[in-house]
Amino acid sequence: MIRRIVPPLALAAVVVVALVIGGAGRDRGPRSPAAKTQAIAEDLRCPVCQGLSVADSHSPTAESMREDIRRRVDAGESAASIKAHYVGSYGEWVLLRPEATGVGVLVWVLPVGALLLAAGGLALAFRRWRRQPAMAATEEDRALVEAALANQRNEPA
Amino acid sequence: MKGALGFGGVTLGFMAAALGVVTMAVGIHRRDGRIMATGRQFVFMVLLGAVVAAGAMEWALVTHDFSIAYVVRNHARATPMLYTVAALWGALEGSILLWGLVLAGYLAVMVHRLRARASEPLVAWATLVGLIVAAFFFALMLGPANPFKPTGGLIPQDGLGPNPLLQNHVLMAIHPPMLYLGYVGMTIPFAFAVAALITGRVGEGWLLETRRATLVAWAFLSTGIILGAWWSYEVLGWGGYWAWDPVENASFIPWLTATAFLHSVVVQERRGMLRVWNLSLIMATFCLTILGTFLTRSGVLNSVHAFSESTIGAWFLSFLGLAAATGIGLIAWRGDRLRTPGRIDSPVSREGAFLANNLLFAAFAFVVLLGTVFPLLVEALRDEKLSVGEPYFDRMTVPIGLALLFFMAVAPALPWRAASGEVLRRRLGVPAWVGALTMAACAVLGARGVAQIVAFGLGAFAVAGIVRQYVLGVGATRRADPDIGWRRALPRTVAGNRRLYGGLVVHVGVVVIAIALAASMGYTKKREFRVVEGEQVTLQSHRFTYLGIKQHETGQKTTIQARVRVERDGKELGVYAPALSIFPNAPGGAAIGTPSVRTGVLRDVYLTLVASPGEDGRITLGVQLSPLVVWLWIGGGIIVCGTAIAVWPARRARRRADPGADAAEPPPRPVPSADEETLQEAPV
Repeated sequence: MIRRIVPPLALAAVVVVALVIGGAGRDRGPRSPAAKTQAIAEDLRCPVCQGLSVADSHSPTAESMREDIRRRVDAGESAASIKAHYVGSYGEWVLLRPEATGVGVLVWVLPVGALLLAAGGLALAFRRWRRQPAMAATEEDRALVEAALANQRNEPA
Repeated sequence: MKGALGFGGVTLGFMAAALGVVTMAVGIHRRDGRIMATGRQFVFMVLLGAVVAAGAMEWALVTHDFSIAYVVRNHARATPMLYTVAALWGALEGSILLWGLVLAGYLAVMVHRLRARASEPLVAWATLVGLIVAAFFFALMLGPANPFKPTGGLIPQDGLGPNPLLQNHVLMAIHPPMLYLGYVGMTIPFAFAVAALITGRVGEGWLLETRRATLVAWAFLSTGIILGAWWSYEVLGWGGYWAWDPVENASFIPWLTATAFLHSVVVQERRGMLRVWNLSLIMATFCLTILGTFLTRSGVLNSVHAFSESTIGAWFLSFLGLAAATGIGLIAWRGDRLRTPGRIDSPVSREGAFLANNLLFAAFAFVVLLGTVFPLLVEALRDEKLSVGEPYFDRMTVPIGLALLFFMAVAPALPWRAASGEVLRRRLGVPAWVGALTMAACAVLGARGVAQIVAFGLGAFAVAGIVRQYVLGVGATRRADPDIGWRRALPRTVAGNRRLYGGLVVHVGVVVIAIALAASMGYTKKREFRVVEGEQVTLQSHRFTYLGIKQHETGQKTTIQARVRVERDGKELGVYAPALSIFPNAPGGAAIGTPSVRTGVLRDVYLTLVASPGEDGRITLGVQLSPLVVWLWIGGGIIVCGTAIAVWPARRARRRADPGADAAEPPPRPVPSADEETLQEAPV
């Protein structure tokens, strides 16, 4: 029994330890202003580009937006308030990650809901399959196969 | 003249497709094999028409025939030859022409390969459906997307030239045809699926018929998507390769459903189950290629790729509606025949893993589709503008991608029906430990980020499982024939089950791409510097020296190059020259940045000239260090190789079937197996 349980537990322990070490480095201490600026810029759309974020774009507009975000971060403004400022000037459209309020909530809820529904459907199907007895050949089926085989033997290919 | 010739080709193509549809329909109705054989011949007439039309267009482009409006808009006398030829697919009308040509080519190959069986109902109906699709595309070229429309008014001396973005890189000549070969290839399995439903032969026949065509189309689509990413990386200059741009998504969604299909057909072949699901998947894939073309070409989106706008949207939407209604209607009509009595005994089995795989691929496709069309729907229905961009897609798709990676590691080792704990331990124990220890090693060596470490670990898990299967297979071959070394045993093993071993190679390619994605998404460092001539800046262990500017003009554009010396740890890596090109002819005098990339095995150094020298003589230099990017393209190459192994015709099997073959040669032994494991079906 012990020999069966120990290896999977040890495996799980190694995985957990690796993830703890690897995940810890990220959030230790307050994030630098540059990292905060980058994170906010990634969520905002460059208003003059074609589908690029403020962080990715090299356009002068995006550059000045990055400078503005950095100023606000340095002044202690929160990420939510900085984004709200840009929504005020450009509308909801400037957010690349739609808010989970209003109609935007659908884009988050629908996939999760659909996945849960499908997984639930599969679980139900497995339950039904388990109840349903495995198919076995009946006498009739066997006779049919026998006849077909005999037929084939009589007719050389 | 070339215009008339080309339009004649289009007309021939349309007439042949329409007559072919009628002839096939009559032949099927009267069950007359001779009429069907005639109908089949029309496919070659369609191909002839398409070749004439495409040839006429290329001729017109090469000879600067500005009496054709398309040539004026997409070509100029100074355009280099490569981009002149590539201008065929540079805009809407030309790409419809390419679509028609590729479709006619696929149909011709199909009817040629099945020439002996043209009068079988399944083949006849599939030909009919293929011809209907061809008729639609040729009708587009006769009407709203006529590539040979004459220039109105005076014939200009010179044209506008292609969109500046499209004449900047060789990949532009390869990426679109690859994508089209993939997109259009999905018509073949679609046609067979419709034919299977109409004839009521909804068993495995249509799957076997189209297996190779689907794999080939899938490989082209994969290649097209990866080349598109590469082009984006090398040309657009923002440092990334995938922006979740709606047009990128439009090619990716059918790829996702096609990939799901390639996996779920195995369950139907083996167990006879999932008939409705497989039919739905391939119909959805076809519909999504049409939707993708609608999104790309109707101008409904405002994105880098939507180069053209026209009234063609309504045509595509109607055709999409027709295709979707046909699919849903037929499946509903045949509902009773599609029910199968089988059952899946346990979720921990090969079938169970395929189901999970399909669930995840479907969810992936749904997320990308929803994120792509959601802003359009909201704008159309509520007149609000909102965006769904990279942060959304990353948040939603990274977990799905990791889950898929997990199943990719586990599934090929699972037995059919049900797996016992003992079997799982024996088959997955070592690979799982390889994965776990890889995670630990990555974390100890300083890798950060949970998603990254999980991706590395799962990648190692999957590759270890694949190596294990190869080792077992080769071992079994050698036990059966101890005289041969592994060098000869390996090809013999692979030839014994091409789908399995080819599919495993594809999986290796997917792992390579997943690791490259994780590393480059997680660990890229980028900065912008304002520098004067002679100034040095550093980023991590790299030092950059701005040496000066070089400017040169060609007929089409003015190019400003900044020369930058790159050193790592004091060792010179070379002088690179990111550039800005200004196209005065293009509307708005567009400035296009051309990055300069030093490709390395471990990391790329990606330089961009963000702004040319200002009044203070400073340039803005963009510097980016991206790890492992080159492995994205290498992974794509591995995927293509794996698919090639899987679809390679099995010559040995054919010879064995022929008793009159060379008698002196001993018959090749069937590849024996160590246990039932090596006899498993392909993972794809």
